[in-house]
Amino acid sequence: MIPKIEDILDECLERRFGGESIDDCLAAYPEQASQLEPLVEAGWACRRNCAAIRPDAEFKARAEYELQAAFYANREEVARTVIIPIWRRGWAMAMAALLVVFVGGLGTAAASANAVPDEFLYPVKLAAEQVRVTLTWSDVDQARLHVEFAERRAYEMVEVAREGKADKVSMLADQVTRHLGEMCLRDKTEEVAEEGSRALAPMPAASGADAYSEGKGTEGLEAFLSQSRAESVQALTDALVRAPEVLKPIIARAMENVAEDYDRTISIIQNTSGQ
Amino acid sequence: MSIEKDVVSRAIKGDGEAFAQLYRDYFDKIYRYVYLRCGNRAEAEDLTQEVFVKALEAIGSYRWRNLPFASWLFRIAHNHVIDQLRKQGKVERVELEDNIVVADEPNPALVAEERFEVEELRDKIKKLSPAQREVISLRFGAGFSTAEVSEALGKNTGTVKALQYNGIVALRKLMLGDSAQ
Repeated sequence: MIPKIEDILDECLERRFGGESIDDCLAAYPEQASQLEPLVEAGWACRRNCAAIRPDAEFKARAEYELQAAFYANREEVARTVIIPIWRRGWAMAMAALLVVFVGGLGTAAASANAVPDEFLYPVKLAAEQVRVTLTWSDVDQARLHVEFAERRAYEMVEVAREGKADKVSMLADQVTRHLGEMCLRDKTEEVAEEGSRALAPMPAASGADAYSEGKGTEGLEAFLSQSRAESVQALTDALVRAPEVLKPIIARAMENVAEDYDRTISIIQNTSGQ
Repeated sequence: MSIEKDVVSRAIKGDGEAFAQLYRDYFDKIYRYVYLRCGNRAEAEDLTQEVFVKALEAIGSYRWRNLPFASWLFRIAHNHVIDQLRKQGKVERVELEDNIVVADEPNPALVAEERFEVEELRDKIKKLSPAQREVISLRFGAGFSTAEVSEALGKNTGTVKALQYNGIVALRKLMLGDSAQ
């Protein structure tokens, strides 16, 4: 039985995509070769042109980061929706935390502490941070955690800058801003009582992605980081005025660390672009 | 167990790194497919990201025996793109733009040429019938095999091969029409 022309074309395309020459692909079908050749060429051209369509690398990295956050938020949401009688929820949460800590979670979380974006354990680090925030009830302690995580992101920014990952730098700067915004929310309970929910409007997040893509290079990134640094330091300065005494030394230290890490990151980027 | 099957199994069980691996493996393919269907870079980025969010939400219910993972993921992409096009009340967006990302190519002339060719191709694909367009986008944009296209679209392989054949013949005619002008 003679195979149909569409079957032969499909076979020839598969072989062509697999690296064979067009003559080799057509050799098995000499009678149909003249009809098939232009079609295989057209299919090959189509495939080659399609391969040139690629997403923006910075967008792709940012989307992955956001997806990871959604992944862990999703798991947390699933965990929350497990039906547990309300009087037993506190015990269930406590038991879950104990399991995480004593059945091996602590080891993994500890091992992930120095992970930076793109490393295998980095999602574990983010998840562990999320768990710590979830298991912390006091606003003051949550604010303290967000300051700590902002410092971590700033430190990671220096590390990824050293590795030349500019897209990750801008993303981490966004995360610094986000954590400081969260810290401000926890720090505003008195204002909420006076102003209502308006006081909970988050700090306008600087968009590292936009700034980076507008500048299309290290100059844009430097400008964005300088702006982000100023906003972060300003957020911490404002928080220092309002914060309870117990948080003040932590915020003061964070101001120094975050500013220093921004400066180191900018310096690395300047040196890299100058080479 | 194949490597991908293992990765998918781990993702189903809540392994974030496994899901990230699937994301890295499929993001570009989904993006190319969506881009060819909607014809706009920013929209393609948003839709591709949304496809992965939907996959994340649904992965717990995925069962390997029913459908290979790639086909499952592309079915989500296909449905999402169709939904969006319907919501916007259009079949396809026809617009030329100059912001297609071309891979690390230092030569501006080559970049321009590649960009032009991609736009030309996208323009021609839009002129195909919806079924041909779907098959060509999956087969050449996403790099699927005919069997995978048939599973993703729920059509038999004979139909997919016929649509591919007719689609390529139509594309070839459109290419010849251009060169004759």
